[in-house]
Amino acid sequence: MFNIYFLLFFEFFKVGLFTFGGGYASLPFLYHICESYNWFSHEELTQLIAVSGITPGPIGLNMATFSGFKTLGILGAIISSLALIFPMMLITSQVFRLYKKFSENEYVKSVLYVLRPTSCALISSVAIKLFYNLVLLNRLSLNTLDFKALLIVVVLFLLTFKLSRNPVIYMFIAGVLEVLLSFVK
Amino acid sequence: MEKTNFWNIFKAFFKIGAILLGGGYVIIPIMRQELVEKRGWLSDEEVFDYYSVSQCLPGIIAVNMSILVGYKLRKTKGMLASVLGMSFSPFVSIVIVACFLSRVMNIPFIDCFLSGVNLSVIILIYLTFKEMWQKSIVDIFSFFWFIFILSLAVFKVNPAILIIVSVILGLVIQKAKGEKSV
Repeated sequence: MFNIYFLLFFEFFKVGLFTFGGGYASLPFLYHICESYNWFSHEELTQLIAVSGITPGPIGLNMATFSGFKTLGILGAIISSLALIFPMMLITSQVFRLYKKFSENEYVKSVLYVLRPTSCALISSVAIKLFYNLVLLNRLSLNTLDFKALLIVVVLFLLTFKLSRNPVIYMFIAGVLEVLLSFVK
Repeated sequence: MEKTNFWNIFKAFFKIGAILLGGGYVIIPIMRQELVEKRGWLSDEEVFDYYSVSQCLPGIIAVNMSILVGYKLRKTKGMLASVLGMSFSPFVSIVIVACFLSRVMNIPFIDCFLSGVNLSVIILIYLTFKEMWQKSIVDIFSFFWFIFILSLAVFKVNPAILIIVSVILGLVIQKAKGEKSV
């Protein structure tokens, strides 16, 4: 049996190493951790994603710090955030020396050509899981559609045609809508 | 131009980490203001270059950008200063929020607000997806590869394995192309 501190470091090292596309692209890995260990529940993970979005700092880093905290308190938060950053420091500092040539290298281009659709698919799978958990599974009575949740998602979707891409706006609107809808019984 | 010692680099990135909210492109205007206009450490072109390189690298874009800047200014020491500065306020704020969250969650208003924010994550992922889709689905192969990976991911295949397989496939494709042209 692995030491849990080592395991936490190892898991978040992997998140830092395999995330491509930044921010929410690390979510598939967090879901995988959530499903493989009993460190935090699905519900806690969703909550932590929400909070990480409205706290200062890069979302990916916030989510890792928060998951580490949920697992092992402050020490866990230190381990998970260092583990996340560690592979980036190793790789990115080396890439710096050749950065102009790096993005023009044929092998790098070819790897990204395959990696981009992979990242795109991984992140879509998270959206499907979230939609299933939050909208299709009613939070109050199981196995029925949650109409309020569906309404909020549809309103936000329509707003994407009007509003800028700043995530904080959507989070705020959704929060306020949910509070307002809670008065409608 | 401000002196580039450890403390100054730490301070600059501490500020960037504290005012960065939401991630993504937001980092570009913030870095331009702090590093180009205020301190004169970088040129505009460098900020955009670092952004495009960071997108090709594993990890978090904002963190990779700060590593590139720190390393440019003072090698390993500069990199440590920028990364520590960048992560300082996010770390502190997350720990504080995490300590109080369970208590605050008992207030129905906050609980409601957060479950609304949860729902917005679906839309935020959709926005990320839309932007990624334009860059990544460029031909028939990438479309079918997307469908293939999506179906595996929905059935809980380890995402790390899918990333490794993609890297290998990318290398193999280029190797095959290279041999053809020779």
